[in-house]
This record gives sequence, structure tokens and C-alpha cells, in this order.
Amino acid sequence: MNRSILGVAALAAAVACGGGQTRSNLFSTDWEDDGGASIARVWQRVGGATVPRSAEVAIGVAGDADRMIGLPLDGGPKWTFAHPLDARPAVAGGVVIASGGGEVFALDASSGRLVWRRPGGGLRLVGAGDDGTVTVTVLRKPGGTGSVLLAVTHDGQVVRQVDTSRSLGAPAVLQRLAFVPWSGQYVSVLDVVNGDEAARVTLRDETSRAWTQGGSLWFGGGAFTRFDERIRDASKGKASRASIATRDLPGTPQLVPSGNAPVPAVAGAEDRVRAYARPIASASGAVIEDHRTYATYFRIAMGFDADKAKLTWVRLNGPSFVGGAAESGGVILCDEDGKITEIDGRTGGAVSTMDFGEPVKSCVVSVDARKVGGASEEVKGLPAQLAEAVLAGDPQLVAAQKMLLRELSALPADSATKALVELASDPRTSPALLADARSALAARRTGATYMVAALGRHYDFLKDVLLAPPVGPLAHALGAMKERAAAPYLAAHLFDPADTDDDVKEAAEALAAVGGASELPAMKQFFGMYRANASNDDMAAAVVSIARALLQIDGKAGRAALEAAAKDPMTAGEVRDRLGVMLRGPAAPAPAR
Amino acid sequence: MLLSPAMRVFLWGASALAFAFLSPGASAQKGPKPAAAQRSPDALRAIPLPPDAIGRLKSGDAGQLAAALDDVRMSGRAGAPAVPAITELLRRGLPLALSQSALETLADTESEAATETIAWYSHHRDTSLRRAAVVALGRTRGPAAIGALRAALSDPDVAVRGLSATGLGGLKANVAVGDLFVALDHKVNEAARSIGQLCLGNECDRLASKIGLVTFDVATSGLEPALLRPEEDVNDEVKVKIVGRVRELGTAEANRFLTGVQSKWPPRRSPRVKQALDQAVLATSASPGSSSGSMQ
Repeated sequence: MNRSILGVAALAAAVACGGGQTRSNLFSTDWEDDGGASIARVWQRVGGATVPRSAEVAIGVAGDADRMIGLPLDGGPKWTFAHPLDARPAVAGGVVIASGGGEVFALDASSGRLVWRRPGGGLRLVGAGDDGTVTVTVLRKPGGTGSVLLAVTHDGQVVRQVDTSRSLGAPAVLQRLAFVPWSGQYVSVLDVVNGDEAARVTLRDETSRAWTQGGSLWFGGGAFTRFDERIRDASKGKASRASIATRDLPGTPQLVPSGNAPVPAVAGAEDRVRAYARPIASASGAVIEDHRTYATYFRIAMGFDADKAKLTWVRLNGPSFVGGAAESGGVILCDEDGKITEIDGRTGGAVSTMDFGEPVKSCVVSVDARKVGGASEEVKGLPAQLAEAVLAGDPQLVAAQKMLLRELSALPADSATKALVELASDPRTSPALLADARSALAARRTGATYMVAALGRHYDFLKDVLLAPPVGPLAHALGAMKERAAAPYLAAHLFDPADTDDDVKEAAEALAAVGGASELPAMKQFFGMYRANASNDDMAAAVVSIARALLQIDGKAGRAALEAAAKDPMTAGEVRDRLGVMLRGPAAPAPAR
Repeated sequence: MLLSPAMRVFLWGASALAFAFLSPGASAQKGPKPAAAQRSPDALRAIPLPPDAIGRLKSGDAGQLAAALDDVRMSGRAGAPAVPAITELLRRGLPLALSQSALETLADTESEAATETIAWYSHHRDTSLRRAAVVALGRTRGPAAIGALRAALSDPDVAVRGLSATGLGGLKANVAVGDLFVALDHKVNEAARSIGQLCLGNECDRLASKIGLVTFDVATSGLEPALLRPEEDVNDEVKVKIVGRVRELGTAEANRFLTGVQSKWPPRRSPRVKQALDQAVLATSASPGSSSGSMQ
């Protein structure tokens, strides 16, 4: 195994100068899989050790990315630390590690007190681990591919520096052993005392981060892999592993953000579109806590069943979420206004809130064994939650709203119909969403009361009702449901010039299905007004639908009128042809009225 | 005496031409053919309905039907006997062009018997037919016409809304004044004139309060008819208040408006209002740009 570990003296110069060091071939790809032998030895060595708890704290990056605000989740006093930041801070063990202003430094997570600082030479923080005595950081040049691994004791002494051409991921530390993911599939175990690569393991899931949480050491990326006695079989795909059921979520949120590069100090879209889950140890090795996962899409938060990816709740926030973490029983999310909300994972209701006191540019939440405390606020049912989310007039949310609209459409509740009616009737609804809402509405077979009520509305310029209701989809659904109460409203829409031709076609077809003698005058009027000037296929179809109803309801008189129309050269050609076919064909069965 | 179609067309054209020259206030909104309403009553009486017109209306032949509609139209009110046949045609259905022609013909008959059928077409999907229908409703009159025109104030088409507002003024539909105010607030500018034709007491004052909220021309298009209405419709108190509101503007356009009303003031109308007008004209005559001011 080629390796090159520099001593402490070289380290100081390297970091101070920001590069120019002898590159290490420590993370060599010449390594041959040892079948888990070396990692098994490491497990034997440290497996019985207590994994130190991580601080439970929310860190907000504020100002012009030149100030950190620490908010202990146990209610401890808020602290601030002013320092330029060039990458997202990391919480590891009891410290907060950050880079910026030419320095790398660590703060006490509970108080914000400076623990150590070192010259950083312009390198940016990729990730860090801490075991209570030593902090291991991985740093990278802006735009560079190589990495500098730096191990610093809490009294500020650099005990190890490794300069490598490899892109190392975010490390974890346990018993002065640094677990360093790299190349997407390896985790090398580096002894920070003697510089040896004590072990290496090949994982079968994409891996770029290592961290300690809930008394275990985890490796993550595409899934969560636990460091336990089964780690020896990791290369065979038999390590203790937890993953979440996959489903198409808007924006493809990451469960574990890539640890292969510094995360910008200021949150981007990938922070606003995130997935959260918490792995825990189990008899089978590892599972997802509570069998729940969470996702954010800007200002929408969602809860899912981790096994089936079934949506269980939706929550609409004011500002966008920019960070968070899953905990036992729920999730903690912070938004760009600096509000931190602890959410019940079962209901989506808020359990508690905290506040940075000012807007934040990004947010890091660290939880270890924390459990949701207290009762959730009362929340509406899922249909109402979905309705609120899909009705939010925010173009940024459309992709998520399309997904939520599908969820809403699958619910049989009348309230889901009500929401679809509102969405399809709202002039603010995005065109991209409107088409889906109309399709979903047409397919509804519940909530007729809401649909009939919606049909009672019309375009009315003087009352500022400038959008007709979704007559076509409503008529389609009500016709399919044989909803007799809709008949007079459908008849009225035959004469509303603000409705589209397609709306009129659907209204006529539905009226033919549910109309009766009460609607006969309206049907006759419509037939008379349009049989000779149906201007397109939709209107011709509408006339023929009404003709069919007249034939069924108006008996001999109706047939006589239709026969006369079928012979009249002034009747529109397509209408005349179809009337002829209808009159020659077998008598249609009388509709149930 | 029966006239040949060519002679009828000649007479109709001649009378219409004469009327156009004699009527400086003729409406700018004309259909494709000069309407009988634009002819003098004498001219209307001069062209009786041909005895075969109704038969041709029932012929089922589009060409004969079109010619018969023309004949009825030329007869104006005298075409009333043909109204049942025309309404029946519209109820059974006609192609667009013939529908339009039928509606315009019914308008010229000014027969209330046609109102209900015309009202159907105020909801037609074709905008031209709706416009023709609301114009016709303004002439065939009746409660049904007022109801249909009030509904048409909310039509999606701006022209239909404007024509409906105008029609309500012509029908003296006092019941619609509230709707007309709402329409005016929604930029249906034609509503101002109709309000001026219909308003009573505070309603006229309310119209005057629109000065500054709608353009001056729109406001005064309603204030002028209000000022020129008889005292039993709009009393002196209200008129003096209106004059005062316009006078307060102190602008050249206010001066021009007041001068215009002053020049049209009937000789035996209220001296009190006349005095207010005179004083207002004088007070605004010094306004920059006013014709009175420039003469001084």
C-alpha cells in the first residue's frame, strides 16, 4: 500500500501556504479487496466503544454569510459568531466546524466559544468529524479535485495532515480513527495517530459521507450503511443497511447531500428540495426511524411512509425551507426567515417552534438521539392539507403541486372534489396545473354537491367573476354520475357565451344524460339557436347531443322537429348528417329520469 | 300600391340619404344596412309591407327569406305583422347571416312581440349576433328587454356591454340605474350617458361625483343630458350642484362643457340654473386654454 503521510511540521506549512505539499498516494486504487478482514479488525478494536453524542443544535448562516447563529435545540441560549464563511458549517460531536476568511475553525456547539482555529490557506470545508478530542476535517481548493485531510486536537494541535489528489468525502471520527469516504464507494479508516490506513471497505451503495448519530457510525449516500459487525460483508452487499422506498418526487431531492465537494455557505435549490430520514440500529441491523421519511420542496413539507413511499401529510409554510434533520418521531425544519419548526412525523402538525431572530442564508440542523417532545397542534385531514398546498398561488411550487394534485385526485373524499373545483376555478392557477386539475375533476365520482354548486356560477363581468367555472370537466363527471340535480345548471351553461365550445359540448352531453322534461324548453331553444349555425365540431356535437335528448324526452313532437331539421338545407351540414343517422338508427333507450 | 323591389330599394335609399343629411346627431353605430329607425316617420309610412312578404318568410328558401327580411326592414314599424313569422324563424334556427338580418329586421319593426325571442340571442355564442340582439332589444322594448339588457351588462364582450348600457338609457329603465353605476365603475363608459338620462335626485349627484374618477368626457356625457332634462325629472337643486361641481374644476374643458350646456339651455327653463351656468361659465372663462378666456 502506497502511502504518504506528512508530519506535523509539514502540515503547518502546507495549510498556511494553501497547497504545494507532497501529494499522498494513501488513497490508492491499487488496493485489493481483503474480503472485509481489515474492517473487521477495526470493528473488533472500536466496536465496543461508546460513540460520542453529537450536539443537538441548529446553526444558521446569517448576514452576508459572515455570521453564524447557534440555537441549541434543548432550549439553551442562542449564540452568534461573526466570521466570514466560504462553505456550509458542519456539526460533528460537540463542535461546529467552518472555514472562511483564510481559516478553518471549530466552535463549541452549545456556546459558540472558539475551540480552535488554524490557517486554512483558502481551502474550503467539505466535511468534518469529531470524537470529542480530535477533529478531522476534509478541505478542498475552490474548483479543485484534490483534498487536504486535517486532524486537529481540541487544544489546536495539528496531529495529521494528508494531501491527496483524491476527492475525499465528509469524514467521521471514532477513537481517533478517521472514517473517510472517497471515490463514491470506499471508506478508508485512517489512524490519525500513526497515519496508517488501518482498513478499507467497499460499499455497494454510493457513499460520500460518514457521521455518528444515535450511538452508531453511519456511511451514507444512496442509502444508510451502519458500521457494525456486518460491515465485514459490505463488499458482498450484506452490511447493515437502511434505505427508503423510491418514488418520483419533484426536483429529485437528495436524502444525503453529496459529501464530495464543499457545500456553499448560502443555500441553493438543493437545500430547498431535500429529503430527510433518520437511520437507527435495529435487530436486523438498520432501519429508518419510525418508518417515515420527509421531504421539502421550497415551502412545502411532506411526510411519507418510508416503506411504501405513501404520502401521509403535507404542510405549507410561508417561506422556503432551507435545512433540517429527521429526529425520532418527526423532523425539524428551518426556513429562510429563520424560523425552526419541529413537526410531528405522524400528522405534520407543529410541535414546537424556535427562531434565529433573523433571516438566514442557510441552516444546518444536528440531532443525535432527540425525540419529538410535546403534543402536535391540531391539523386538518390529508385532503384539506393537499388542498391548501395545491391552491397556493406560487409558480415555484407547480412541480410539487402537480404531484400533490395526483395524490388529491386519488382520494375519494368529497373535500378532495371541493379542492379540485376550487383549483380548476381559480384564475391564479398555473396553466400547467390547470390541465391536470380539469382532468382530475372530470374523473371524479364523488362530491357531486360541490360540483353542482360550482356549475351554479357563471362569468359575470360586473361582479368581477372573470373566469367561468370548469364546466366541461364538471359536466363530464356529473353526467357520468347521473346527477339529476345538475340538470338545470347544465341547461343554463348551454347559453353562457363565456363558456368554451368544449364546455358547451360537455354540458350538452351531460344534459342529455340527466335532463328531463323540466329542461325541455332550454333544449328546444338551444337546438333552434344552433342547429343552423353550429360553427365547429364541438358545437355540432352539442347540438346532436341535445337532439338525442329531444328525441327521447319530447316524443313525437321532438321527432317531427328533428326530421324537419334533418331535411332543412339551412341546418349545418354536420348536424344534418348526424341527425339523419340518428333518426334512421334504432331508437335509443330511454334514459332513467 | 305595390312597389317593385327595385323601386322599394330606391325609395328606401333616398329616404335614408335624406335622413342622414338632416340628422347631424345620427348614431355612429350602424349595421351593414341603414336601419329604418334612421328614416323619418313619413318615409316609414311610405313603404308598406308587401303582401307576399310573410309567405316568403315561410318559404324555407334562404334567398327568398333574405329578400323578405329586407322588405320587412324597409317597412319599419309597418312590418309588425311579419314579426311572428320572423321570431318563429329565429326560434327554429337560421344560419348566422340570416340570424343577424332577422334580428336587425325585428329591431326596425320596434315590436315588443319580438323581445322574448331577441333576448334568446343576447346569449348567443356569436358576438355579432349578441351585439345585434342588444341593439334590437333597445328598440323593441318591454320588461323582458330591460331584464336581458341588464344581464348583458355583464357580457364578456366590451361592445355588448356598451350597447346594453346605451339601450337601458333609451328604454328609460330607471330600475337599472344601480346596475349602470356598477357598469360605469367597471369602465362601461356608455353607462354614464344612460345614467344621465335616467337619474333621479341623489343619483344625478352621484354621477357628478364621478368627475375625477372617470374621464371628464365620460362624466359629462352623462351630466349634459341630466342638466338638460325637465325640472320634474331633475330638480334645480341637483342641477345647480352639478354645475357647481363642474365649475370647481376651473379647467378649460370645464369651461367648454359649461359653455356648451349654456348654449343649449332652453329659453323657458329654470332661470336659477341658467344663472348658475352663466356664473360658472364666467368663473371658468379665465382658465388657460378656455375659448372664453382666449376671447377676453
